Amino acid sequence: MTSAPPAAAPPVLALDGLTRRYGTLTAVDGVSLRLVPGARHAVIGPNGAGKTTLLNLIAGTDRPDRGAIALDGADITRRGTAARSRLGIARSFQQPSVVTELSVLDNVVLAGWTHGPRQRGAWRRPSLHRSRQETAVRHLEAVGLADLAHRPAGALSHGQRRMLDLAAALAGDPRLLLLDEPAAGLTDADIDRLLGIVGGLPPAVAVILVEHHVEVVAHLATDTTVLASGQVVATGPTREVLARPEVRAAYHGSASAAVPGASGPSDGSGAGHVPTVCPSPTDARG
Amino acid sequence: MDLLDAHLVPAVDGVAFGLLLFVVAAGLSLAFGTAGVLNLSHGTLYAIGAYTGAELSDGTWGGLALGLAAGTAAACLAGAGLSAATAPLARRGHLAQALLTFGLALIGGDLLIQLFGADELPVRVPEMLDSSVSLLGHRYPAYRLCFIVMAVVLAAFGTWVLTRTRMGAAVRAAADDPEMLAATGHNPRAVHTGVLAAAGALAGAAGVLGAPIIGPGPGTSENVLMLSLVVVVLGGLRSLWATFFAAIAVGEVQTLGVAVAPALAPYLLFAAMAAVLVLRSRFVEPATAHGSGPSSPGPVARLRERVSGWAAPLSAWSGRLPGSPAWRRAAPPLVLLAVLVALPALLDAYSISLAGSALALGLLAVSVTVLTGYAGLPTLGQTAPFAVGAYATANLAEAEWTVGPVQLVLSALAAAVFAAVVGPAVIRARGTTVLMITLAVGELTGAVVNQLKSVTGGADGLVGFPATRAWWGGPELAEESELYAYALVVAVVAVALTLLVLRSPAGKLLTGTRGAEARMRASGHPVGRYLLVAHIGAGALAGVGGSLMVTVQQYLAPADVGFEIAAFALLAVVIGGTTSVVGALLGAGLIVATRDWVAGSWPGHGPLLLGVLFVAAVYLLPRGLAGLRGDRPGGGGGRPSAPPVSEGPPPPGPPSRDDQPPSRPPVRDDGPASGPPVREGRPLSAPAPNSAGKVSS
Amino acid sequence: MLELTGLTAGYHGGTVLHGLDLTVDAGSVHAVVGHNGAGKTTLVHTVAGLTRPSAGTVRIDGREVTGQPAHRLARAGIGLVPQGRRVFAGLTVEEHLRLSHRPPRRGDTTRPGVWTPARVLELLPRLGERRTNRGADLSGGEQQMLALARALLGSPRVLLLDEPTEGLAPVLVRQVHELVVTLAAEGLAVLLVSPSPAQAVACARTLTVLTSGRMTLRMSGEDARADPTALRAALELTAAGTATDNG
Repeated sequence: MTSAPPAAAPPVLALDGLTRRYGTLTAVDGVSLRLVPGARHAVIGPNGAGKTTLLNLIAGTDRPDRGAIALDGADITRRGTAARSRLGIARSFQQPSVVTELSVLDNVVLAGWTHGPRQRGAWRRPSLHRSRQETAVRHLEAVGLADLAHRPAGALSHGQRRMLDLAAALAGDPRLLLLDEPAAGLTDADIDRLLGIVGGLPPAVAVILVEHHVEVVAHLATDTTVLASGQVVATGPTREVLARPEVRAAYHGSASAAVPGASGPSDGSGAGHVPTVCPSPTDARG
Repeated sequence: MDLLDAHLVPAVDGVAFGLLLFVVAAGLSLAFGTAGVLNLSHGTLYAIGAYTGAELSDGTWGGLALGLAAGTAAACLAGAGLSAATAPLARRGHLAQALLTFGLALIGGDLLIQLFGADELPVRVPEMLDSSVSLLGHRYPAYRLCFIVMAVVLAAFGTWVLTRTRMGAAVRAAADDPEMLAATGHNPRAVHTGVLAAAGALAGAAGVLGAPIIGPGPGTSENVLMLSLVVVVLGGLRSLWATFFAAIAVGEVQTLGVAVAPALAPYLLFAAMAAVLVLRSRFVEPATAHGSGPSSPGPVARLRERVSGWAAPLSAWSGRLPGSPAWRRAAPPLVLLAVLVALPALLDAYSISLAGSALALGLLAVSVTVLTGYAGLPTLGQTAPFAVGAYATANLAEAEWTVGPVQLVLSALAAAVFAAVVGPAVIRARGTTVLMITLAVGELTGAVVNQLKSVTGGADGLVGFPATRAWWGGPELAEESELYAYALVVAVVAVALTLLVLRSPAGKLLTGTRGAEARMRASGHPVGRYLLVAHIGAGALAGVGGSLMVTVQQYLAPADVGFEIAAFALLAVVIGGTTSVVGALLGAGLIVATRDWVAGSWPGHGPLLLGVLFVAAVYLLPRGLAGLRGDRPGGGGGRPSAPPVSEGPPPPGPPSRDDQPPSRPPVRDDGPASGPPVREGRPLSAPAPNSAGKVSS
Repeated sequence: MLELTGLTAGYHGGTVLHGLDLTVDAGSVHAVVGHNGAGKTTLVHTVAGLTRPSAGTVRIDGREVTGQPAHRLARAGIGLVPQGRRVFAGLTVEEHLRLSHRPPRRGDTTRPGVWTPARVLELLPRLGERRTNRGADLSGGEQQMLALARALLGSPRVLLLDEPTEGLAPVLVRQVHELVVTLAAEGLAVLLVSPSPAQAVACARTLTVLTSGRMTLRMSGEDARADPTALRAALELTAAGTATDNG
């Protein structure tokens, strides 16, 4: 149902040969990807594979050196982060980003500010402000922070901040939701809640999930792409990809291979550590 | 060839001057880059060396050697003392330290004048060097050539220590993460002290050796500080080589540039500084020190507790205020207003005119609050729009446009346009970089003020223009009480408008931008536009303040819009608590009272008193006057719809300091140092430690 | 080797750890598991001297070191691998090794092992290949290795590991666990802090569950491996406890 042939449904997101270099290092190397509405797509790979850079490129916090990004068929390669957000790309951060001085509720209100019905001078109108707050409370309920709505966000624990960050992402009313290691540092109970939230998203919302927890990936993602050294080395239905022996070897270390490779591509020969399954970007669309 | 020949001597002079600046700036850069102290008293350390050297110089080698030893040791000790003074502030960021060192510089300058007199001291170099040698057919002072050699040796030695030794590695590690340095068994406090002592020694040695080039005098400290700040900004903090070339460039501008294009030279420096800062999207900013080891309640903390103790009745009183939180929030401005209205009945004419000036400075301080506390752009350059407003009003008055409201609106407009033009350069940066860019903007404006004599009257200033009328056809405002009433009405309207905007959700947008810029962007907020609007608004407000100042004091001198005023405004904001508008007004009042009223009974010691005020404010009021109320910071300054702080346990710690929850490592804002270049990167969108694996950050 | 009694600590006047008693023997791994905000990192910071305890004592090898600053504790034999690794961004691997190499005082034979850069590189050969790279230019796994090397070069008696596998790929997680077990076998006392019970069970001899700064369960690693339900139940309790605590 997801990153299936382009003919089936128009892709909500289309990446074409996306490349980002830092000096001599190529962090993302010719990545192409198609996501249909409702896709649940995981991106996995060893540390330093370029997963977060890829998210940054999609969200607009970083610009590609080559390649194009299209949202709903419209090219957004040159649009800024804020513009992309208003077009419906929302994200969570690896390190949750909250305004510590404001209340938990205000954090979510601010996150939903530029979304929903657009009206001029809206910040002055009390009725609109109330409706914004009501929406924000709903998002807080979803992530289990409604009780803390009036606490300053600075008083939250790390795990709670992660949940608040997620609520802020949801408040962006996304068509495409980017989640950057949402389960890192969460306890099992929080992970269960996370699974519930993502599972309960409207079916039209496409999700890209960067995650190390294989269980979370297996549970949430219908499709999975494996990155190594910035290149797509495998992509396809999650179960198939995770079952491939090369991926298992690289990722779980079950075979004798790939222990040094997992520590990163930074030696420049990293591509060799994970056997290349899909050598060409065309296949990666798969 | 002729051209080269004619300019050879200034060019070699430029090298000598540049090397002198390099040695001084290397110390400044070391203190800022590795100990995290933006040392605004660094020029004073140079002056200590220069005075000592001049005092002990008697034209013999022994005198020079003795001077060098004594001057270096004195400045080294002063540097170590500075380390002890700034250590308690390690957790409070660069702003507090910068203000403390500025206060110490004011005190130190006063003491040096006490010790050595207000005149420039003559310096005698050893006779053997007190001659000239032939240099490609030109006579050139031997001492300067000798100085060039000594400076090169000094620079080479310093570079070797920093980059090749274990000690140097420890210094760089301390700059990055002092806690982790401690966890590897090194004492970060010792490193901190060592770095500042070494920086002091460098400045002191430069002072002794450079005394024949930049001699000891009352203006030495500021001159040297400004020039070395320019060098540090131009060179960045990463590489000593960059600092070196920047220093040589500045030296050449100051000598060769003056010889070739005298009219342009004053602009050149600060224009170059602003250009570099704008072009380089990120200036290397050292991480705020995490503090060294567990903090024990030192004498300062104990003193601070006592101050809070004195304030307890105040806080209890504010706790007993009747009515709703909204009323409690409105109370401080209303009480202040009542006092201000009652003032004319209580004070004599002179004090009333001072109160008028304080209101003008207060508006400047409020504009700094908007930028520093709400937009997160700590500024030393709000004197620039302040000056624009002031000179606009003065010129309007000279052109017989004397109607007050017209003057105010046009001045505010002019200042707003100015802020809109400068804004894009300022809002790209964050943190200490903003301090430096705005400093450049302020200094550049100062240079223009001194040059554009037809508009500004140059160094003489403007005086004798017609007085302002409060309304069309109204009488000229002449009496102090009339002027004060006019100033009060204007200030009340301006502050009320500011509070209205800040307490609307717009204030929240700014708070959000300051607190989590990456999140705001990712949620679709045009962050740059918000900051630009804030900058323009603050500029207009400063313009109103400038206009008001001209109306009240009826003359205008360059010093009224100089660096000191900028520092005062920032101090007023720090005294008041960075997000408190009322606090900023009170702070401005306190400063004017200290400078012109208290100091009036002790002539010549205004700087000393102000220095003491700076130091006391930084130590004793960590959260400003607003913090004394025992409330959340900004409680007096309008935190829109803040949850009512009622009974029940307060949130752990002051929210502004509470961005590190107990269970996670500090998120370090040292973006530049911890990853490959990110084109749009800003300290605020700092890479997550987790992703610091080379690619993702 | 490491002995904590009644340890109480916090930030800004708020108490995070409430009277914790804990002992880690030489040659063993003690894991502390708990929800985020339970006080795990505070515990590590307090033992390492980065946070001053408000009550209670810390003893190393019988000697009381409560309240000493971090550099003293490091010299007394505490090695810290902090959460988020925190390698020095601007220093090369080589400089890290040189800076943190601190041989025990002559005559001090009580250290479980004496570490030199050469020996560390033998254990972690990957770092040898990256000698001239700056800390910021290493991958996450390499940074973790470097953080471990930095701690080992002080020839510690006690090794504190704060979520050493956070953000690492599974293959590296296993490697880290093997290393931890190897080091403990050398005679080090290892205190491992982790949010995940699975990790703790993988290598710990004893386990402590921390709930809102208090110990709520202590069991041996064998028991936990045999029957993970008790541990899981205690952690569920932890989650619930934290929620109500903050609410």
